[in-house]
Amino acid sequence: MLRSESVLKMFAAAGLALAGWAAPAAAADATKVALVPGGPHPYFAAWEKAGQDAMKDFKLGAADYRVPQKWELSQQNSLLESLLSQGYNAFLVFPGDPVGSNSTVAELTENGAPVIATAGCLKEPTTALFCFGTDTGNSAYLGTKELIKAMGGKGRIVHLTGFLVDPNTQLRIDAVEKAAKETNGAVSVVQVIADIDAPEPAEEKINAYLAAHANDVDGIVTTAWVPAVVASNALRKIGDKRIKMVGIDHDEVVLKAIKDGYVNGTMLQNPYGQGYIGSYALDRIRNGCKVKAGAPFKTIALTNRFIDSGTVYADKDAVDNYVGSMQAITKKIFADFASTYLTCP
Amino acid sequence: MTPVISRLARTDWFGPLAVIVFATIIVSAFDPSFLSPFNIQILMLAVAVNCVIAMSQMVIIAIGQMNLAVGAIGGLAAISFAGMMQIWGLPPLLAAAAALALGIVAGLANGLLISATGISAFIITLASLSIFKGANLGITRAQPFYGVPESVKAFGNTTIAGPIPWLALPAALVIAAMWYLLYRQRIGRYILAVGGNQSAAELSGISVPSAVLWAHAMSGFLAALAGVLLVARLQLGEPTIGDDWLILSFAAPVIGGAVLSGGHVSVFGTLFGVVIVAIITQALVIFRIDPFFVQVVLGLLILWAVGVNRLREVRMQRTLKRA
Repeated sequence: MLRSESVLKMFAAAGLALAGWAAPAAAADATKVALVPGGPHPYFAAWEKAGQDAMKDFKLGAADYRVPQKWELSQQNSLLESLLSQGYNAFLVFPGDPVGSNSTVAELTENGAPVIATAGCLKEPTTALFCFGTDTGNSAYLGTKELIKAMGGKGRIVHLTGFLVDPNTQLRIDAVEKAAKETNGAVSVVQVIADIDAPEPAEEKINAYLAAHANDVDGIVTTAWVPAVVASNALRKIGDKRIKMVGIDHDEVVLKAIKDGYVNGTMLQNPYGQGYIGSYALDRIRNGCKVKAGAPFKTIALTNRFIDSGTVYADKDAVDNYVGSMQAITKKIFADFASTYLTCP
Repeated sequence: MTPVISRLARTDWFGPLAVIVFATIIVSAFDPSFLSPFNIQILMLAVAVNCVIAMSQMVIIAIGQMNLAVGAIGGLAAISFAGMMQIWGLPPLLAAAAALALGIVAGLANGLLISATGISAFIITLASLSIFKGANLGITRAQPFYGVPESVKAFGNTTIAGPIPWLALPAALVIAAMWYLLYRQRIGRYILAVGGNQSAAELSGISVPSAVLWAHAMSGFLAALAGVLLVARLQLGEPTIGDDWLILSFAAPVIGGAVLSGGHVSVFGTLFGVVIVAIITQALVIFRIDPFFVQVVLGLLILWAVGVNRLREVRMQRTLKRA
């Protein structure tokens, strides 16, 4: 008797567990979005506010920002699986790896949870709906063009960039090279320092480079958050306004350095818009909309289903109104997002 | 060989020192700016913090264990230090004291769990790494604390005299204290004895749990100190502080002649190990190594440095046998 009770209990528990696992597949319930970056990074902080705003504005069940503890694909995969089992049924994911993340994304979509690759793309073929992020190559290209303009059209550039495993890094390296090559030799990229999107290696390597080569360099372009912060501080420390610099993103250290004249400008991205519009799109998809056939997606190296979340250059004159600039981009994309990219019943 | 040189050559730190001299000559021959005062200052800034990180691991290696949570403790202390100043407006000294106390508590928790459960330090610190890192992310939401007072920023970025940064001062104190504790104090002897042979130490009347607790408390304190120093140097409390410490924390003591199974470490060898890693890191930047191959070259150069030291030890042993 005791034994049969135990067996019944075991089946009941298994049934409950299966019901919990299957829950995300049921699309009738409220949309619970998980916004999952590749690891802890200040760039993604705006996703949290974007999720909260989206939850309020679009009456979502949840739109929670969940961060893997480290920039490791395995940690992100485990977190995504765990979130699925907790009932999240829609995902905005910055892929830890453009190819390696595809299997986990497929697992999510097979369980009925739509996924948008956000801020970084997945390599095709992928079951993600599309990629929504900064056209990083274009941003790096435009930033380098601004730098070249500030340098008077000639000189030597050092490029400071992020994690080599970031799908965007190679695109950025290529774009900076492309902008330099267009000057027919007047501008050259003398060095790329990568894997410095963490403060300690950035501090060590950027300062070491400037200590040895500050006189040989005319411009610095940074295409990752932390190197932009560290290079801004380094230029301030050595008091060198001869070296021109164009940074990226909106860290307050970079913005202050622009105001004080140590940095010429920064390429703003739109993480808030990514989180806000991405959450909206996932909810619409879960409520019957489809991705429009023939939508005007851009094609980039990794995918032919890319939507640019926008980028804008902010110099000394524009830096005070950077929030307004980002909001304007979001508003513009959001205004015709559904009609451009979705087909709804 | 003269007796003095012969005696020096037998020390753990002689090999790493020779590597440093050799590497400095080579690098500065190719790029004289390597020895410029500014570059020496940059080098000393890196060495100052990294040597405290390495000492934090070294004291655990001395007892024959591993502390995988060194970076997580340092990171938690760093964001606590910056956060207490920014959110609560605590004066820097008070915030630093609280962050160091947090490090000691974290280390003691590791030591207690290891002693009480008998589970290996590897497993316990692997778990606590996750807990401390999780607490870090929970507190910061992956956002840096920027409210670091000017006095702290100045401490991390100004010099005492010439190229010697203020950060070198706590690092020098740590080196002196570690040497004194390990080689001149009873607790240091106990730690090395437990690391050398735990059973023999126990039979000699040494309290193994007490030695383990001391070692982990010291390790936690040093990791927290490194975190505090990094906040001063970086001028912000970044949640990713500590993420990259693990390899360096093992590489430097091992280059410096530490025996991973415990019982034998060298304070000065570890310091020189840190200097070697810093020189290699700088040289890779100065020589414009392709970023995709930096890790490969770094690994090969560390292997070379360890190999040189090992070769020296083997030759010394042979010479002694012959004698």
